[in-house]
Amino acid sequence: MTGNEHISQEDLALHAMQALSEGDAAAIRAHLATCAVCRAEFAELSGDAAMVGLGVPQHQVPAGSRTRFLDRIAADAAMAKESPKRETRGKVLPFQANAWIPWAVAAALAIVAVSLGIRLNSLHQELTAATSQVAHLTDETAQARQVLEVLTSHSAQHVLLTADKTSVEPTGRAIYLADSGSLIFQANHLKLLALDKTYELWVIPVEGNPIPAGLFRPDAVGDATVVMPPLPRGVPAKAFGVTVEKAEGSDTPTAPIILAGATAPASGE
Amino acid sequence: MAFERTNHNEQDPGDDLLLERVRGKDQQAMAVVFDRYGGMVYSVALRVLKDPEQAEDVMQEILFQLWKKPDAFVQGRGSLGGWLMVLARNRAIDLIRRRKPTDSPDDVVLVSKTNLASETERNVLMEKVRDVVKNLPVEQQRSLELAYFEGLSHSEIAEKTGDALGTVKTRIRLALIGLRKALAA
Repeated sequence: MTGNEHISQEDLALHAMQALSEGDAAAIRAHLATCAVCRAEFAELSGDAAMVGLGVPQHQVPAGSRTRFLDRIAADAAMAKESPKRETRGKVLPFQANAWIPWAVAAALAIVAVSLGIRLNSLHQELTAATSQVAHLTDETAQARQVLEVLTSHSAQHVLLTADKTSVEPTGRAIYLADSGSLIFQANHLKLLALDKTYELWVIPVEGNPIPAGLFRPDAVGDATVVMPPLPRGVPAKAFGVTVEKAEGSDTPTAPIILAGATAPASGE
Repeated sequence: MAFERTNHNEQDPGDDLLLERVRGKDQQAMAVVFDRYGGMVYSVALRVLKDPEQAEDVMQEILFQLWKKPDAFVQGRGSLGGWLMVLARNRAIDLIRRRKPTDSPDDVVLVSKTNLASETERNVLMEKVRDVVKNLPVEQQRSLELAYFEGLSHSEIAEKTGDALGTVKTRIRLALIGLRKALAA
């Protein structure tokens, strides 16, 4: 499969469906990087494989998902406009115990506020959209409520992540609801990283390998957040960790672990 | 901000034009992409995950990736709809196998001569694909199903079916090539 020989169509077909072992897949990726013939055949087979998906029964997207998506891109567009202004903001106050609660609530409210601002501007052009805007607001409130639910739930696991014995400066807090796979993470006083590096958050499940839970880079004052990364539902965690990885992230945590924290039983248990 | 739901007809802009507008952060254009491909992407994810909430999460993530990084899709090397379906299928498989995403959108390159932007052509193709797959030999159907929708590796399929590794490989290749020929006919 390697060297000057071309890869068999069988192996390329399997690779197009990610049905090879990681070792075989890595060898094929290396070969594809240098062989235009195999690359062309692989693209053909990938196109064939894509067509398989076209044969599945078609379903309507769930109710409200269109609104949720459009809200998300609207908020993203608004944040993109807002971000240059944040560069000039004043010095951030030192992080205090429990200061994360108002911060997180403010973040949730900010999501709503940004979306409301967008809507205010659009009212002049969209008088006929009043009815849908009510539904829109309901979704946004639900989103904020979901964040607050994670923050206030008795069953949420609150974990304080600290640095190794020689330093207590960087800290992180993870709030995790295993049932819904919801995670909110906030870190402070992190060191800035070179451009080719990133921080990566890990959920360490009770059973199985660490699950990547998002890449992040701190801002100018060392603060960073990860809010609701895509995670599988129903995976109990025994710990959380943060590592430094190459910019594109890693499949497995790379030592040393910068921040780590084990879970404790949820209050009330 | 409310956007009118789009009706698919011959007046709809093509994918190239839509992507150009998405690059300019045109939310209305992204709404059209959602209306055009959201259901297809959701359906593939649902077929793999069998969980509407998780399938919606995948659909939202895939389409949001396109919004954030439209240049990941390079025009001229496949259809946008096919590309989104591959990303959704791969992400769904990653989820059921509880693994980190195995490829980035930039790595997904496919050749497709189909025009999925047209609802009419899309519906015709869907019927044709279902028909072709239904008429594949049962063993080929089974291998394709296990690999594509359940995310099993060829060795896991061989173990599950009791077939030789080489047999599994050949069946999957024949199934894909059979599909290619039938669609080209």
